[in-house]
Amino acid sequence: MQDWISMPLVGFPLVASIVLLAFVSNTNESMRKRLSDPIRMASLLFSLILLTFTTGMFFQYFGNVSWEGISFNNYEFTHRYTWIESLGIHWTVGLDALSFPMVWLTTFLLPVTIIATWNEKNGAVYFPILLAMGGALIGVFVALDLFMFYGFWELTLIPMFFLILKWGGKDRKYASQKFFIYTFTASVVMLLGLITLYFFQDPVNPLQYAGSMTGRTFDIPTITQHALMENSNGNWYLGANIQKVLFAMLMLGFLVKLPAVPFHTWLPDAHVQAPTGGSMLLAGVMLKMGAYGMFRLPISLFPHALQYFQFVLMTIGMVSLVWGAIVCLGQTNLKKMVAYSSVSHMGVILIGIATMQPMGWAAALFMMFAHGIISPMLFAVCGAFKHHYHSMEIGAMRGMAKHSPWLATSMMFAWMASLGLPLLAGFVAELMMLIALWYFLVAEGWSVFWMVGPALVLAVTAAYYLWSMQRTIFEGGDETQPPTSLDGEPIPDIANPEKLAMIILALFTIVFGVMPWIALDMMHDWTIQIFEGLILPILGGFNGGA
Amino acid sequence: MASTEVAATVHSEWMQFAPLIILLPMVAFAVILFLGRVFNGHPFWKKNLKEGGLIALPVMAASLILSLLLISEFLKGNSGVDQIFEQIAWVNTGIWNGGSTTEPVSFGFGIYVDHVTVMLLFVAAFLCLLINMFSIGYMNTDPINDNRNHRFYAEFVLFCAGMLGMVLADSFLWLFIFWEIMGLCSYLLIGFYYERPSAASAAKKAFLTTRIGDVFLMIGLVMLWDLFGSLDYAVVFATENIDAVAATSAGTLQWALGLMFIGAVGKSAQFPLHVWLPDAMEGPTPVSALIHAATMVNAGLYLVARMFPFFGAESLHGELDDLAFIIAAIGGITAVMAAAIAFVQMDLKKVLAYSTMSQLAYIFTGLGCAMYLANTLDWHHDSDAHYIVVVAFGAALFHLFNHAMAKGMLFMASGSVIHEVHHAHHHLHHDDDHHDDDFDAQSMENMGGLASKMPITATAMLVGSASIMGLPLIGGFWSKEGIIANAWRVAQDDPRFLLPAMCVLLGAAMTGFYMSRMWFKTFAGKPNNEIAAHVGPTNTWIKTPLFILTFVTLSSILLAGMGFTHWAADTEYSFLSEKNIIDGILYELGHAFANSDSFFFILTYVAIFLGAVIGPGLAMALYGGKLAEGEEAKPWMRPVIALSAWVNKRFHFDNSAFTESSLATALENRLYIDEYYDKAMVNIVAGFSNKVAEADTEVIDGTIKAIETGSQSL
Repeated sequence: MQDWISMPLVGFPLVASIVLLAFVSNTNESMRKRLSDPIRMASLLFSLILLTFTTGMFFQYFGNVSWEGISFNNYEFTHRYTWIESLGIHWTVGLDALSFPMVWLTTFLLPVTIIATWNEKNGAVYFPILLAMGGALIGVFVALDLFMFYGFWELTLIPMFFLILKWGGKDRKYASQKFFIYTFTASVVMLLGLITLYFFQDPVNPLQYAGSMTGRTFDIPTITQHALMENSNGNWYLGANIQKVLFAMLMLGFLVKLPAVPFHTWLPDAHVQAPTGGSMLLAGVMLKMGAYGMFRLPISLFPHALQYFQFVLMTIGMVSLVWGAIVCLGQTNLKKMVAYSSVSHMGVILIGIATMQPMGWAAALFMMFAHGIISPMLFAVCGAFKHHYHSMEIGAMRGMAKHSPWLATSMMFAWMASLGLPLLAGFVAELMMLIALWYFLVAEGWSVFWMVGPALVLAVTAAYYLWSMQRTIFEGGDETQPPTSLDGEPIPDIANPEKLAMIILALFTIVFGVMPWIALDMMHDWTIQIFEGLILPILGGFNGGA
Repeated sequence: MASTEVAATVHSEWMQFAPLIILLPMVAFAVILFLGRVFNGHPFWKKNLKEGGLIALPVMAASLILSLLLISEFLKGNSGVDQIFEQIAWVNTGIWNGGSTTEPVSFGFGIYVDHVTVMLLFVAAFLCLLINMFSIGYMNTDPINDNRNHRFYAEFVLFCAGMLGMVLADSFLWLFIFWEIMGLCSYLLIGFYYERPSAASAAKKAFLTTRIGDVFLMIGLVMLWDLFGSLDYAVVFATENIDAVAATSAGTLQWALGLMFIGAVGKSAQFPLHVWLPDAMEGPTPVSALIHAATMVNAGLYLVARMFPFFGAESLHGELDDLAFIIAAIGGITAVMAAAIAFVQMDLKKVLAYSTMSQLAYIFTGLGCAMYLANTLDWHHDSDAHYIVVVAFGAALFHLFNHAMAKGMLFMASGSVIHEVHHAHHHLHHDDDHHDDDFDAQSMENMGGLASKMPITATAMLVGSASIMGLPLIGGFWSKEGIIANAWRVAQDDPRFLLPAMCVLLGAAMTGFYMSRMWFKTFAGKPNNEIAAHVGPTNTWIKTPLFILTFVTLSSILLAGMGFTHWAADTEYSFLSEKNIIDGILYELGHAFANSDSFFFILTYVAIFLGAVIGPGLAMALYGGKLAEGEEAKPWMRPVIALSAWVNKRFHFDNSAFTESSLATALENRLYIDEYYDKAMVNIVAGFSNKVAEADTEVIDGTIKAIETGSQSL
């Protein structure tokens, strides 16, 4: 079969971006200004080609792959090219129902981000960087080789670093460095974990795709297959202690990326300083790399350790959920509030994982997807707010409903979607998480008081969103103040490209809220496959195994 | 995969169009919003389409017609409690119960029709249409709404869609989904005048207060799902499933239902989550009518009524009586509290708001008592007990019906008064730009003696008030007497119920007082000022719904005679199946006024005496009076005004001791409850969250920064 992934999905945006950047690198300021228009159009066109492509994959136009019924550790569109034979490194790509929604989401957000930030300054450089960002993100999701996975994982940092550094706010230098060093440090721990995993593999059996020199492999399907066999035999793959240590090391890298409390403080800084486009991709896709990684590696390889750390994960998830929400309530900066709300929502994903229920995992997967559509809209609103009112402070602008009705409407929609209004995408995930959590608590005899956390957060989330809307959309009597920074000029509403981006995001929020099955059915199917293929044979009944 | 095929259980060809009852208004929402954006200010859009009002109207009419077809189909016995549709599988997922495979779990959407559905469906669809008519007369004639009415009509139809959807949904999950959509619409509509800070704060308060209830409701639903493995009515109400749950976890079920009840407390504005309802008056008056009569507050009642099968289940006999008591007690407390606060309100709409709260509390008391009876009597086998339970449940539902009709009428009438007072004010002060700052068109201080100037409105208000008060033979009388009687019947069995029983009896007198006070202050006596003297009659769009609802309220006796009470509670009874209408009315009259049981005979007359003599009498003594010279009311209002003038002259007393007392001050300040809540929000919640936010920067990020600094100094 033809390789539908390597070149079309990963190589194309990266190469296009490099070519465009090379093209503008030797030009002067005025030339770049003139080039920004054609380059913007070209970037949009390229990203739309990508979207057409993944959408075609969904509708089985390309490859004729049914996304339901792919059994655990089987992948579609797989292709493997030998890269470094002596070490067992391959360029391996493939998709399953875990990674495909993320890939589609990335290709969906790319054009939307380009449209939403249509008038970003220095566009000749900015738009190619967005393309590079997209290519790197897709690379993470399609990689089926540990080496390649890690490579793309770190590659995503570079465009984001430049986006923050070059297009960011006042403290962009500090924020970009903090973002880079913080997540890079965590990734190094993860890298050590990956290398340890590589060397602790059993070299006795002739491994398929093993390196000629080391006898070991970076191939994820092969490792997963071996782990599955070993785990199913009643043993802990690699031994109990190493499994626990490796699980913790990998999880650390993913938890920082997610981010979970207490490893979250890079996120608000990065978001507040990042340009709108950077924030949209950061919140929309980059955070989900953490959750995706958890499912792909530690959970698939070390189910015993997952069960061993279940309590810890549940605690971290619950703390993230509650802490993030309460911090939101204490924020005065609109974008910071939205950033912390992401922390809170990522807590939902962790709790879903920690329930060790198919419903909880499907909730986590759907939350990844739904948050990936809703949070870009949140940040697009924040970006427009900053752009027009030159301030991020809640209360800096009151009476948006009158002065900027489009922005006010978009804000209300995005806020309502994020607080989990039914028939918008976020609700389904929250509902499933709650049900799975309660079921788990009762079935395994945990205290039902764990439920207090989500219950509290449901109310607190509504409180901080409504409070911020009261102080932006509505007028405030004596407090009403069109921002002083405008010097009495008429207050503009959002521009047409921004309107278009908002409409697209809102439309898809509704589509996936009213018809969640479009995405949820394949996610559900994947959770059932991993449960029946991995968790049940190994862990058996409740409290077994550990 | 979603299956959308229509199942074989469809009974009549057109029944497959039943979802249009919900879908039409939902589509209209998008259409009106879109057209409004595009054609805003266009003369055709403004004059001929009334900025969307005339798009909403046919849509609501179509919803009503489809609803009536569905209802007639149901009354013919065609569909019973069957689900009309095979469910649309909305969410498919799985659960692992510790076995060797995972179990599939599915949440679907379908339509479920039974007697409670049918009654609420009629109330909602009928009132939504009338309020839509009223809105055209009210919203489009006020320049303050110019060029933004499309927003009103769009949100209005979505609100109606939410209510209709909630009533038709076939599972607690979809009940909750539509419930939340109503919450959103109430937020948007209460905050319609975004330029008013008070509206912004009222909208936030409404959403947040109901959200607190919703959180409990959601947890309750999750618990209920855990017990039954489903939230579909067809599954959770199945006797064998209830039996299975009753055998192992009746206590958990009571907790689940109790948490769900907290959701109803929030939505129906009962103590202690009642604070949002009076503030919700910040929205335009049609919104008040919509929230108080057709939609929002009825949702909580509907949810509690939906729980009835649990209380009535044989296997849960005597297991849920504590919850039934809590429901009745919350109702009783709220009934008295709200009525007391209504005593001192000067704002016409606020009086009505507190009266809604108080009347809903009656319905909650009635439901609580009916549920207690169903839970403790052996009503499955004993036909006397069966009759008692059915009548008790039916009385509560009938009061819901009567209250919705009367309150819809009262709000529209009050809107008509406010509208005309406002216009009169404009007329008198048209040069003055700043008059709106200190003039309150809603204050009864600016009214008085309007009976001659607005005859239809005054009549509607009179009939509506009489229905709420429970004056003999009119509207709410038939249901309120039933609720009071049942509360006392239960109190004889269980002394705990003396609390709600006393409360509803006392509440009858209080209702009589505050509703009469409102009517006399507004319509009797001499105009309080120049403005009230210049009020003119209202327009046709406003008069028509008032006229229709006056007729409906007055014909409540026919419904009673047709056995509405029995039918609303139990599908085994059908309209007119047992006796003809004359016999029915005679039976109801005999039952009400010549009860063979001496206890209930005395109780009836005590209640009538309190509600129809003591309460209105006090109000007449304080606020009654003749109209101004040369003004003449319609003949049917003349005796009322004359009587009030006579009582006022003969029995007038000085109530300044009360109005200056600290109790009156406390009541004016709504018993300081709102203040306590505000304080708690500001001091505890905001204070705590600021501390946490600080800790996040100082401690967590501080550690990172310390590492940073440390590593740099190396």
